[in-house]
Amino acid sequence: MSEPWPLVATGSAARRAIRDPGPLAVSLAFYGVVASVLATLWRTAAASHGGALAGYSSAQFVWYIFTSEASIMALNPRQIELTGEDIATGAVAVELLRPAPVLGVRIATEVGRCLPRLMGCALLGAVFATVMVGGPPRPAALFLAAPSLVLAVTCNLTAQHAFAGAAFWIRDARSTWFLYQKLVFVLGGMLLPLQVLPAWLHGVAAVLPFTAMAYAPARLASGHLEPWLLALQLGWLAVLAVVARTVFAAGERRLQVVGG
Amino acid sequence: MSSVMRAAVAEARSNRGAFWTQVSAMALNDIVWVLFWVIFFGRVGTVRGWDRSRVFLLFAVLTTGGGLVLGLLSNARRIGQLVVDGGIDAALALPVPPWPYLLVRGVDPVNLGDVVFGVSLFAVSGSPTLERTAVYLLGAAAGAVVLASFLVAAGSLTFFAGRSEAGDLGFNAIILLSSYPVDIFAGTTKVLLYSVVPAAFVAAVPARLVDHFRLPQAFALVGVAAAFAAISWAVFTAGLRRYTSSAIWTRA
Amino acid sequence: MSIVADGLTKVFESGRGRRRRRVEAVRAVSFSVDKGERIAFIGPNGAGKSTSIKMLTGILFPTSGSAQVLGMTPWRERRALTRRVGTLFGQRSQLWLELTPRETFRMLGAIHGIDQAALRRRVAELGELLDAGELFDTPVRSLSLGQRMRCELAACMLHDPAILFLDEPTIGLDLLAKQRFRELLVRLNEERQTTVLLTSHDVADLEHVAQRAIVINHGIVIYDSEVAVMRRTLLSTKLVEVALAGPAPSPEIAGVTFTQVTETSLRAVVDTTVRPIKAVLDAVLVELPVTDISVTDPPLEQVIAEIYAMPST
Repeated sequence: MSEPWPLVATGSAARRAIRDPGPLAVSLAFYGVVASVLATLWRTAAASHGGALAGYSSAQFVWYIFTSEASIMALNPRQIELTGEDIATGAVAVELLRPAPVLGVRIATEVGRCLPRLMGCALLGAVFATVMVGGPPRPAALFLAAPSLVLAVTCNLTAQHAFAGAAFWIRDARSTWFLYQKLVFVLGGMLLPLQVLPAWLHGVAAVLPFTAMAYAPARLASGHLEPWLLALQLGWLAVLAVVARTVFAAGERRLQVVGG
Repeated sequence: MSSVMRAAVAEARSNRGAFWTQVSAMALNDIVWVLFWVIFFGRVGTVRGWDRSRVFLLFAVLTTGGGLVLGLLSNARRIGQLVVDGGIDAALALPVPPWPYLLVRGVDPVNLGDVVFGVSLFAVSGSPTLERTAVYLLGAAAGAVVLASFLVAAGSLTFFAGRSEAGDLGFNAIILLSSYPVDIFAGTTKVLLYSVVPAAFVAAVPARLVDHFRLPQAFALVGVAAAFAAISWAVFTAGLRRYTSSAIWTRA
Repeated sequence: MSIVADGLTKVFESGRGRRRRRVEAVRAVSFSVDKGERIAFIGPNGAGKSTSIKMLTGILFPTSGSAQVLGMTPWRERRALTRRVGTLFGQRSQLWLELTPRETFRMLGAIHGIDQAALRRRVAELGELLDAGELFDTPVRSLSLGQRMRCELAACMLHDPAILFLDEPTIGLDLLAKQRFRELLVRLNEERQTTVLLTSHDVADLEHVAQRAIVINHGIVIYDSEVAVMRRTLLSTKLVEVALAGPAPSPEIAGVTFTQVTETSLRAVVDTTVRPIKAVLDAVLVELPVTDISVTDPPLEQVIAEIYAMPST
């Protein structure tokens, strides 16, 4: 029996990332500081607003923020730039010489690379949150947050690859990675729970895929037992996968005509 | 010194390639920040004496002072890197005092965009009177001194540690912590932000002073700025002495 | 026939409007390769070698012309073809830099759907064949270029391809590593009848690996013949450079033309069909106060110039 290549790709990348603890530690430290500060802000805000805000208590806010930050910080913020660079330099063209789909191998590898960071941040976040406000508001929901985090990261990476695919046509498209990042921050529910947004903005966010990347796991971890969020994530993952696949197929075809 | 600065500006000018992308990135960053606080205070009202207008003051001070430091004295954040890759040696080979030379030598015009943003923000939302403007400018200057001093001190730890991680972490930490209203923190964290990592003095204290000027606090701010400048000079000099007198392994 | 190329042409277009540029990278290239042959595609930089390989492996569409590799049209059946051929690009690594080669092999094995036990056997086999077994567990970034290239070769051979395409594989290698690499290619070819097609701008690659040489210049095939024949007609000259202890009269040696004589050095062109190089060197060493001596192949440019100068066939 041969091993299924997605598992090998993810596994190798994860092992590779663990073997380099320096950058991992720095990422975790950074996450610790950023998430703590933002969580403190919202906790103080809720406390000074009578204990609850937009339907979230102080404790729920804290668990929300630590989770939403973990789901985003697990990724390399410049992933779009790196993927775009690989496309522009022809590294992707050479990957066409393997009998496995270029996009599939890349996404599997990137997910693997993120997993150690994700687990580290999730663990650290849970500890910090417990110290700050006590245990998880609803352990059953937290249980669902774990697979939700993995789905969130996968959705995010898939979307980023679709975005990076612009580099097949526009060489400098990769430098617009920060645009994507900001969309996730605000509309994905990383900086704040979506319920805090004014109603119209919440409506906009609800129809965009970014909610699958931070809001979903954070909402679950903050104690709201809403298993349909996982279905939402799977749905978005399917859509994003199709989009990314289409972009890459077109891009690969272009490489074959125009040269890598 | 001015000739060094002129050369640095010319060098920065030649890197026009990524300039506009970086400017757009920073502009977008600033816009998202403003949006965040608009939404936040829209929901919350006031938090521990901070409301939207005061947070905007904080942001104006931070972008002005921070932009000046990162734009004109951009090497302040790179001291760690310069130690590790041998850039310090280039400065030591010249007949000028290294500390001011290094600071003045790096110019990052992209960050000057932040200064523009800060000034505009203050003009639009800071209810600028003559007094408030004066306090804002002086506050930003003091905050800039605190920021630059901290960055140099943190970076100078690389002389002792051999690795530049302390400098990078210090930079990210202080910028992040300076952009929040300090009063949301309590206890030990708050004490920390007024001492070891003086993020409170970079923007929060000056912002409070604009709104609510009190002479003793203003003096305290200036005093702290001077103290940190002295500390950073001391740490840098000590580190430099160690660097030149012993064989520290660097990547260079 | 393993490979058949018929009138392969590739035109690159870039720019817009007035700045539109057309580059004819490859013009009507035709040739065929038998199973088990070792072919060298030789030409200067920009001659169209890499472009040709890219078309034959299916990652580039030709502007016109056709090709059949193992009975498949490469650009139409690329995925299927990748299972039967191996490709090594000299300037691009297949191996993940932070991993060990063995871990990359595991990844590639999974991609090619190779049974785990069979993969392990194959890796061991290749380790022996390529004298690289002890390198497989070192992180790639710690390997020298020569060592890395041997591991890259193993990576291409994992799925037992019928054809091996190599694009400038010896670039950047020192002389010893180059020789070793060439020997390994010949060994691979002889062990498993793997067809080898390599591109290079180093004439020595041609001499030591190939049975047949195709010379390409400005996108056109200007020469296609057996290396043995080429050796007799085009590669029979060698350049000798001698450093002298002091001025000395140039000796008269048959087949040797002295092209540059100074007080301390000599340059000569040797026609090895008239006199073998060893005899020439013996004579020179005896008759002249030699402090240093070097022997080189004629540069590719000269070979090409000679091809153009040949009477048309």
